[in-house]
This record gives sequence, C-alpha cells and structure tokens, in this order.
Amino acid sequence: MDRAFKGRLEARFGERLLGPVRQRHDETEMRIAPGDVTQVLTALHDGPELRFEFLADLCGVDTGNDMQVVYHLWSETTSDWLRVIAEGLTRDDPRAPSATFLWKGAEWMEREAYDMFGIIFEGNRDLRRIYMPPDYQSFPLRKDFYLADDAARSPGGGVRPMERTHAPVDASVAALVRRSPGS
Amino acid sequence: MTTTTDRPSLDDPRVQLDRDLGVFEPIPPYPTRTEREAEFYTLRDGEMLINMGPQHPSTHGVLRVVLKLDGEKVVDLDPVLGYLHRGVEKLCENADYHQAICYLDPLEYVSSLFCEWPGVMAFEKLMDVQVPRRAEYIRVLSGELNRIASHSLFLGWMALDLGGLTPILWSFIERDEIVDMLSALTGQRMLFNYFRIGGVNGDLNHEFLSRLGDWMSHATEQIESGQALLNENEIFVRRMRGLGTMDSATALRMVMTGPNLRATGVPFDVRRAHPYSVYPELDFDIPTRSEGDCLARYLLRMDEVKQSLRIIDQCLHEMPDGPVMAKLPRLLRPRPGRAYAGVEGPRGQYAAYVVSDGTDQPFRMRIHDPSFIHLQSVGVMVPDHLIADAMAVMASLDPIMGGVDK
Amino acid sequence: MTVIARGWERLTLPGKLVFTLVPVLLALTIGLVAVIVLFGQPILDVLAGNLEIVRFVVAVTIVLLMTIPTAFLIIYMEMKIIAQMNLRIGPDRVGPAGSLLSVVHGLKVLMKEDFTPTGADPLVFTWAPVVVYLASVMTLLVIPFAPGLYGQQFNLGLLYFFALAGLSVVGLLMAGWASYNKYSLLGGLRAAAQVVSYEIPLTLSVVGLILLAGTMNLYTIVENQAGWFTDWYVFQQPLGVLIFFIAATAEANRTPFDLTEADSEIVAGFATEYSGMRFGFFFFAEYVNVFIISALTVTLFFGGWNAPFPWPEAWRLSLDVDPGSLGLGLLFMIGLVPLVLTIVFSLPFYLASSRIKAWQALIAGFVLANLFLGTVIFAWGYIGLDWVAGVLWFMGKTYVFVFTFVWMRGTLPRVRIDQLMDFAWKWLLPASLLNLFVTAAAIIVVKS
Repeated sequence: MDRAFKGRLEARFGERLLGPVRQRHDETEMRIAPGDVTQVLTALHDGPELRFEFLADLCGVDTGNDMQVVYHLWSETTSDWLRVIAEGLTRDDPRAPSATFLWKGAEWMEREAYDMFGIIFEGNRDLRRIYMPPDYQSFPLRKDFYLADDAARSPGGGVRPMERTHAPVDASVAALVRRSPGS
Repeated sequence: MTTTTDRPSLDDPRVQLDRDLGVFEPIPPYPTRTEREAEFYTLRDGEMLINMGPQHPSTHGVLRVVLKLDGEKVVDLDPVLGYLHRGVEKLCENADYHQAICYLDPLEYVSSLFCEWPGVMAFEKLMDVQVPRRAEYIRVLSGELNRIASHSLFLGWMALDLGGLTPILWSFIERDEIVDMLSALTGQRMLFNYFRIGGVNGDLNHEFLSRLGDWMSHATEQIESGQALLNENEIFVRRMRGLGTMDSATALRMVMTGPNLRATGVPFDVRRAHPYSVYPELDFDIPTRSEGDCLARYLLRMDEVKQSLRIIDQCLHEMPDGPVMAKLPRLLRPRPGRAYAGVEGPRGQYAAYVVSDGTDQPFRMRIHDPSFIHLQSVGVMVPDHLIADAMAVMASLDPIMGGVDK
Repeated sequence: MTVIARGWERLTLPGKLVFTLVPVLLALTIGLVAVIVLFGQPILDVLAGNLEIVRFVVAVTIVLLMTIPTAFLIIYMEMKIIAQMNLRIGPDRVGPAGSLLSVVHGLKVLMKEDFTPTGADPLVFTWAPVVVYLASVMTLLVIPFAPGLYGQQFNLGLLYFFALAGLSVVGLLMAGWASYNKYSLLGGLRAAAQVVSYEIPLTLSVVGLILLAGTMNLYTIVENQAGWFTDWYVFQQPLGVLIFFIAATAEANRTPFDLTEADSEIVAGFATEYSGMRFGFFFFAEYVNVFIISALTVTLFFGGWNAPFPWPEAWRLSLDVDPGSLGLGLLFMIGLVPLVLTIVFSLPFYLASSRIKAWQALIAGFVLANLFLGTVIFAWGYIGLDWVAGVLWFMGKTYVFVFTFVWMRGTLPRVRIDQLMDFAWKWLLPASLLNLFVTAAAIIVVKS
C-alpha cells in the first residue's frame, strides 16, 4: 500500500475525483465521472511522475443502479495497481469515451464491455459485438438479463422447445421467421 | 409443453425462409455499422474474402478469421470470436466463491493453475485471508510445472502449424510426464481445481515428489532434445525469422504481456513488476529478446522453461513446513469491496477483478485473459504477409481459445 | 409361378445367393468352354501373330493392377514409419501389426457418399481426379523393372515421363477450379505454380545424364549401369541427382513441399471438396507418384535393376532342366518331396523333448519344409533367372527411396510458397544449368 501515492493522486486530480482515493492491500482506487476519462487517462499516461503506460484491464460493471467502466493501470512509479472507476453511467444510455486513442489494445476490451453491458464507447472504431452473434438483441451481463425472454428477441428465439415455456415477445412466429437477419 | 400447429420449428422442412440458401454465403451480409467493419468488408478489385473458419485444423480452438486476400497475400484480417463463449463471468455471479474457482479452470485449459490463481488471490484479498507460506511455495511449484507443460505444448503446435508432424508428439510426451505428476498432486490431469481460498487442496505427497525427482533428473536433456529438431532446422528458422515483427512501442500500445511483450525488448514480468506470492524470495531471471519476431517469441519461451526449472529447484529446497490451507469459515461472506489480482502466466498477465456486495456470491467476476488481447495484434502483424505466415504468427502468439472466448 | 415366388421367399440370404450365382456361373463356364473349343485355335493364331501387342497388353494390365497394392503398401509404410519417428505405434489392430489398415481405408473410401458440391462444374469435377491419376500411372509404362520386364521401350522414354508429369497440373487446376471453393482454388493455383516451377529443374537436371548415356531410353540407361556400383550414374552426376531428388519431391507434392495439401493452412487444398473414391484417386495418385519418382531415381542414377556387384561368372547355374524328361518321376517328386521334407524337419522337434506331441512336431516340420523349399526355389530363380534378381534389387532400391520420402515427411516442416518459388527459380534452375554445362564440357574434354 503506497500511502504517498494517494497524496500524489489527490494533489493531481483533486477536483475530478468523485470521492476519496481508497487503498486496500496493494490497490489504489479513484473514482471519476465518465466525461473526465479522456483527460484523466491522458494525464496518467503521459504525466512525468505518473507514467501509467500499462493498461492491465478494462471492464464494465453493472452495479444494479447504474454502470461503471473500470480501468486497471500499472506504473513503475508506484508499487500499487491503480484502479480508475468511471462511474455514474446511466442504465438507459451508458456512454463513455474510448481509451483506444492511448492503447489500441483496449479496442477489444471495450467491444466486450459493449457486448456484455451495452456501454457505448465513443471513439472506438470497431464497436460491435464480440462474443454474441452480431444480431443479438440484449446484453448478457446486465443484472436485468433473463435468458428465456431475451432469447426470444434473437432470430430463432421462442421456437426451440426449451424456449416455449415463456411466451416470446413477438407472439407471431411467422413474423419471427420472415424477419431478415440484421434488422 | 404442447406442440401447436401454428408454431413451426425452424427445423421443420416446410418452413420457408425468405432468403434463398442456394449457395451458402460463408460471410453473412449483416449490415456493416462500424468504421472498421465497413473498411474491412469493402473489397477492392482482385481481393477476396476467405474464411479460415471455426472448423480448421490449425486455429487453436474454434476461432474464425476472415482473411482479405489479394492472391496469396493477406491484405487484412478480422478475427471473429465467440464460438467457445460459455458465459463464465455470468456463471460465477450465480455461484459462491468456492464454486467460482471451478469455473476458472477451463478458461486457459492448458495452464489451468494460472487461471485459478488470480481468482483465488482476489478472493483472498477481499476476505483478508493470509495464505500459509508452505501453500504459497506449493502454488509456485505447481504453477511453474504448469508453465513448462504449457510451453512444451506451444513448441509442439508451433511446429505443427508449420508442417512438422513430429515435434507435437514429442511435446505431448514431455507434457504427459508433467501432467502425470500434477495428477498425483491434484487428482486431475488437466483442469486441476487445486487452489483454494487460503491455500491449496492437499499437501505434497510421496508419489508426486518421487515423480518430480525422476523427472528433474532428466528434464533438461529431454527439453533440449525436444528443441533440437527445430532450432537448427533451416526451413523452420527461415519461416519464422523476421516474421510478425513487433516493436516495443506497438506492443505496449496493443497491451501485450508475457513472452510476446518480452520478445520485443520490454522486460515486463508481473512476477518482478508487481511481485506476489513468494516470488520476491526466489532467484530467477527474466529472459528478454529484442527482435520481436516469431523466432524470438519461440526461443524466449524455451528460455523461460529453463528459468522455471530453476524456480522449481529452489522451491523444492526452500519449502517450509506448515499448514497448506488457512483456517476459514465454510460460508465465506466478505464485506463489500473490490479486489484485483494479476499473475504472470505462460501467455501473459492473467488477472481477476472481483466486486463483492457482502453476499456469498461474487457480485461481478471479471476475468482478464492475455490470449484475448494478443489476438488483436494479429491484425497488426499479419497484413502484407502470406496465408502461411498468418498461421505461423497466430501460433507464435500462443492463444488458447478457451481464454479468448471465456 | 407362385410356387417359385413362394419358394424364393422362403430362402435365406445364402440360399438366394447360391441359387442366383450357381446358374450364372454354370452358364458362363459352359459358354467359355464352348468358345475355347470352337474358336480356341483361331484365337491362339491371332495372339501368336501379334505377340508384341499381347505382351504390351499383359504388361500394362499387370502394371496397372500393381499400382493398387503398391499404394496400399506405401500408405501403410508411411503410417508406421512416421509413427515410429513420433514415438508412437501407428496402426496395430487391423490385420497383423495393422497391415490391413490401408486396405480397409481403400474399402471405406469406396463406400462413402458420392456427391458433387453445389455450384461445382460436374464434368470437370468428375474428370479431375481421373486426369491426375492417369498422369501418375501412365508413367509406369516406361520404367524397366527387370531385364525383360517393362511396359514399352521408347527411345523418348524420359521425355514421355516428364510430359506426363506435367499433365498432372491440368488435373490439379481442374480440381481447384471446379470445386467452387476458395480454399480449393488457392490450393489448385499453388499446386499448379509449384509443379510448373519445378518441372524445369527436374528436366534440366537429367539432361546431363542424357548426354552421358547418349539416349533417352530408360532401358538402355539401366543397361549402361551394369557392373559394379561405381558404374552407377550417381557418381558421375552428383549434383544432378541432388537437384533431381529435390525437384521430384516438389513435383510429387511431398513434404517439405506439400503446401498444396497443407492441412494446417488450407484444409485439404485442391481436394477439399472431394470425398469418397474421388478423393481416393488423388490419394492413390500421390502415393503412386512417390513410388514412381523413387523408381525413376533408381532407374536413372542408381543402376535400376543391377545389383551393386556383378554376379561372378563361376557361380552361374544353368537351368536346363526339362521337366518332361522326368516322366513319372516328376509326379513322384511333387508328391513325395514335401512329405519327406516335412518328416525330416519334424524329427528333431519330436526327438528333442518328450513334451512335444507328434502333431505339433509335424506342424513345425511342415512350416520349416515350406520355408526350405521356398528358399531353394527362390535361390534357384535368383541365380538362374536374371529377372528375379532384377526385380528384387529394383524394388529394394526403390523402397529405400520411398523410405527417404517418408522420413522427410516425418521430420521436416513445410516451406512457404514464395520461398518455394524462390528456391526453384533462383537456386535449382541455375544449379541444373551449371550441371549441364559442366557435364557437356567434361564430355568434350574426356572425348578429346
């Protein structure tokens, strides 16, 4: 636990933090608003005393009330992992700036967050689904995802025996079958 | 469940689709929405899209790569994932902390212990559990054995993708010995399910130690001889040298880790950068090479095997006595919080980020997998090479689709 | 009629077979006997008048029939030898030590569904394997297996051979194009490029040999190499044999040049859409090709049917035994000799231990007697008939080269297409030209 690091972060980003910098074991956590992500990440990446050039992880989290995008970074300047939580993304339209301008490798991690949660990353050139089929209609890792109903909104949904226990959203299977993929 | 006549199944031959499947289109005409998709799926004169499909003898698992070819040269490629997606993160949310460990094994099934390790470490951080030193040493020992097994297998399928039929069988012999050892220790040959929150499941036993001793006595020569067929082979070296070169700046931008990053010259190893477990007490080097091509990645992994042997040796000599499992209540309810743990696996940094809400099930279990990240770099390294090179580059990055697709 | 119908229904399957086949066979036999009795003499006259054509037809039939067991044998060899190199066992269940596995594969391939993929051109798709197979097999016509055992002697035998080797390109392109599959197209084009590129070094590397031998007739080339093994052309054309071997490996699409069927890159190359017997044709053609290029290497450079040392004159036996002169003695010999030998060989077993019963000793004696008789007859044939020795040496040497091809397959990885083309055009072609010039210069110098 690097206590000096907490001081440095609060000094650098004081006004942007949405709460105190927390530290536990060997991790330091800071919370920011999604709008500040670009500046904060650039400052962390380029800052001469910070130099967080290694993005360890990028993921989305659905807290039940709203959504977060969580970045984990590493630098030689400190012995802790830095966790940057961009919180407050709404459930209806979760948007966050993309980190691909700094790390091209974040592209797929953001695709995965989009696929699993529906978080739109502005600036990501390739924001399409990565695990689910391209025309899948819902976001699996959200807390309000239920398999049977949501499966009905994909092509072929509601017509397999296991899916017939719940009525599909579109009661007319003829319409389901005639619908061309991609609409 | 009643079968009503007005709900025909798509398997019913009488159901007519409005799209004529006269000749099967391997690349379905979904509307392109993103810039990258539009750029990729627009073909210029003479270019052709070919599917190196999910059923293919050479992709490491079910991976579909759409290649845009100009004759024999690959102009661009687009990996399509999801064929092995099992929803592990969602499954972990519905299981309790002990059960979640079982879900972590089949991620990178070739090196399962490294998949369990960050998850277990993250859980221990959440619950403020102190792992006994003997358990840590056993974790390191079994982990390094697993690393050697994984790298042996890498040698095998690197050669297989280039056309050599023999090295993979020899690699499997090497791996078999290690895996038999680990099965004496853990009870399983492949998906070990050995690490527990607070330690490991069972101490070292006599059979494991005797097999380990026998193996260590001939391990070095066996590994050397396994590589002898490839390292001096002109065809092999010429195929790999200078291929898929990546410089360190690009590698850092593509967020690569592990041997793929160290082959470009960046000496970043989680064991030294952010030490965990008992690695600070162990003496080993971080092999680094600077060429960044396929040959460098291959040779680097072989160097790592030698370092792993050193670590195993030290573990055996310095193994302390004590319990192998911390005392924990059976029902684990950590207080609400978040924890992140990263380890250095054979492919790179494996990590887990766990969010706990105070119940006995993880609220969010995020698994970070290196193969997933490395597969993005294929699109950077392969264009302007030939199809054969695409396979060689993908093999040299050593992806495991179980981890890529979670 | 209902009696017959009811009777037919009550028969079991073997009964039905018997009742159908026996009359048919009887009719055929009677017909054949009638033809022989009535027309036998005219037929024999016609055959005797056209002995050359008869010899040719018989030789060609035997050669064609021989390709199938050869392919089976080479496939089995490959599976077993590569398995041993891979430190595993290979086939060991079907037949003794797995030897019948390739036969079973052949039968399986016959029983698969025969389909043409949608969008494929049916005529071209069907004829492609035939063209490839024929291009391989027709070359066996000119290879001399032993003195007197050849399909046909041409004065342009070697040219004929290379022409047919080039014909396989047409078949590969047909297969690649007609499959309506991008993988096949890639594979077919790669194959065509490879075969055409390596034709030139292949042909040029033997021109030196042709200059030395003075003829393109393969029979004469082998005859020129009679005597000690130092007379073989390999010592006079070392560079030529090396280039020839490498180029022939590429022609036959064998590792390290097997990118046309690189199963880790483009599934099965030009043969992706082929299954069943169509694929069987490609498969067989490849293995017969391996045999053929080994045979050609042996014929051209390693002495063909000649033994490495000439059989000393003093050891020649004459086989002037007229079986007819023995009269009844022949019958006695055929009847008594095996019996006597069996008893003679079983006596030691019987006398050795009291636990060996009479019938066991007799069986052992029978086996040994057969082995002995076989060895004696074989040795008699080897010494007396020159073609027995010729076939043996030829096959032995050929299979050494087949083993080498299999060995290379188990050991080496594949080259890339551009490396392959580079190697052919930038290295092998100049090397073969160099070989040609040096040989020509040497001939002029030695002659003058």
